[in-house]
Amino acid sequence: MQAQLVIDPRTYRQLKEQMGADFVRELVETYCHETGRLIEQLYQALAAHDSAAFARLAHSIKSSSASLGALNLSQQARQLELTGQTNDLSEAGPQLERLSSGFLKVKRCLEELRDEP
Amino acid sequence: MSHNTSPGRLLVVDDNKVNRLLLGRGLEQQGHRVAFAENGRQALDMLAHNNFDLILLDIQMPEMDGYQVLEKLQEKLEWRDIPVIVTSALEELDSVVRCIEMGAEDYLTKPVNPVLLRARIGAGLEKKRLRDQQRELVRRFATAEVAQDLEESGFALGGRFVEATVMFSDIRGFTTLAEAQSPADTIDLLNTYYTLMFEAISGQGGVVNQMVGDGLMAIFGAPLLLPRHAEQAVRAALEMIEMIDLFNLDQAATSRPLIHIGIGIASGTVIAGYTGTQRRATYTCVGDTVNLAARLEAYTKIAGQSILIDESTRQSLSAAIQTSDLGLAQVTGKVQEVRIYAVPTGQKA
Repeated sequence: MQAQLVIDPRTYRQLKEQMGADFVRELVETYCHETGRLIEQLYQALAAHDSAAFARLAHSIKSSSASLGALNLSQQARQLELTGQTNDLSEAGPQLERLSSGFLKVKRCLEELRDEP
Repeated sequence: MSHNTSPGRLLVVDDNKVNRLLLGRGLEQQGHRVAFAENGRQALDMLAHNNFDLILLDIQMPEMDGYQVLEKLQEKLEWRDIPVIVTSALEELDSVVRCIEMGAEDYLTKPVNPVLLRARIGAGLEKKRLRDQQRELVRRFATAEVAQDLEESGFALGGRFVEATVMFSDIRGFTTLAEAQSPADTIDLLNTYYTLMFEAISGQGGVVNQMVGDGLMAIFGAPLLLPRHAEQAVRAALEMIEMIDLFNLDQAATSRPLIHIGIGIASGTVIAGYTGTQRRATYTCVGDTVNLAARLEAYTKIAGQSILIDESTRQSLSAAIQTSDLGLAQVTGKVQEVRIYAVPTGQKA
């Protein structure tokens, strides 16, 4: 049940049907790796008060998360993108923390789904 | 939408690797060859060294974003016609509008729906194919200069009304001429004749759009706008006669037959555009002006003149070109008589 809340099962199933299970396995790995990297960069952008980079990185996470059915995470990333666009990162720290823990849930869930037959 | 679009060489530009993989996979499944760039700068590098039929472009990217790429694409002639499909999030529609204003062809929202992807790519590739074909046709029928001008001023080849001057020209008594010499000599003669005529016509900004046997039709003022199309058409006609005279000197020196041509010119509104099928199309003009030019050309034999023009062509001429009023004439196909003018040859306009 947990898995269904974090990842939209319909999106994920369609992806598997359209692209093939092997490809989706590879995609999940890439997504997890890349998103982890992007979150690290978000922390760096926050530390550097670089709101443009902050918005762009959040935008990137928003986009790929939606593709994999991680709709909640995508929404969270969208909020971060909007924050970045205001040029004011003072409230961004807690938001980023939530995104970060949200991503861990997504990652776990995707790994479960990936290992399903 | 067809399900077997011919494969194309596509460039996917996106900073997110997951998006690149997804788009790439979808496109490869549809039979296309796909190359990837992570940002705008990389994309331009790849464009400089490879040919692509279509670009899928993300907007927000580090180093160089989608807008900057679109700007660069517009600057370079050979890139301008590559269709760009912008890939964006649903909430970015404002950005999409800006991209389309900057020359993008279409857009897709991410996550990309495979059916829409197929349809949009198919339409984009088809447009590219038609544009390539148009360019090729213009190249074939116009000189490099005219083709270049056209590309720079942008193609405006759809059906439209234009003010233009139409010219018809053919060789008098060509059939008799052809019977008197070998087929090889006839083709040789025609090739020389066409080369000379093309030079005179395109030298004045005209475009030869039809060649049938020994006759040709040329348009001045479309598809390339010419402010003084009537004057230029008449100047081209004078040069054509001059070239034929020179050619005849050559022919006489080698005891070969001389040729004579008749030219009819009319100006006015024409309907211009591409006609034909997808496989074979040509830029052409239709309308009364075209018919009148053809009739005037035929009338040169009756009038015993080399160049005949209509009233509206004459009115547009500068004082540098002399004409003589031949009065009203009953031209075939016209209910009312039309006033015609001869342009005396040999004048240095």
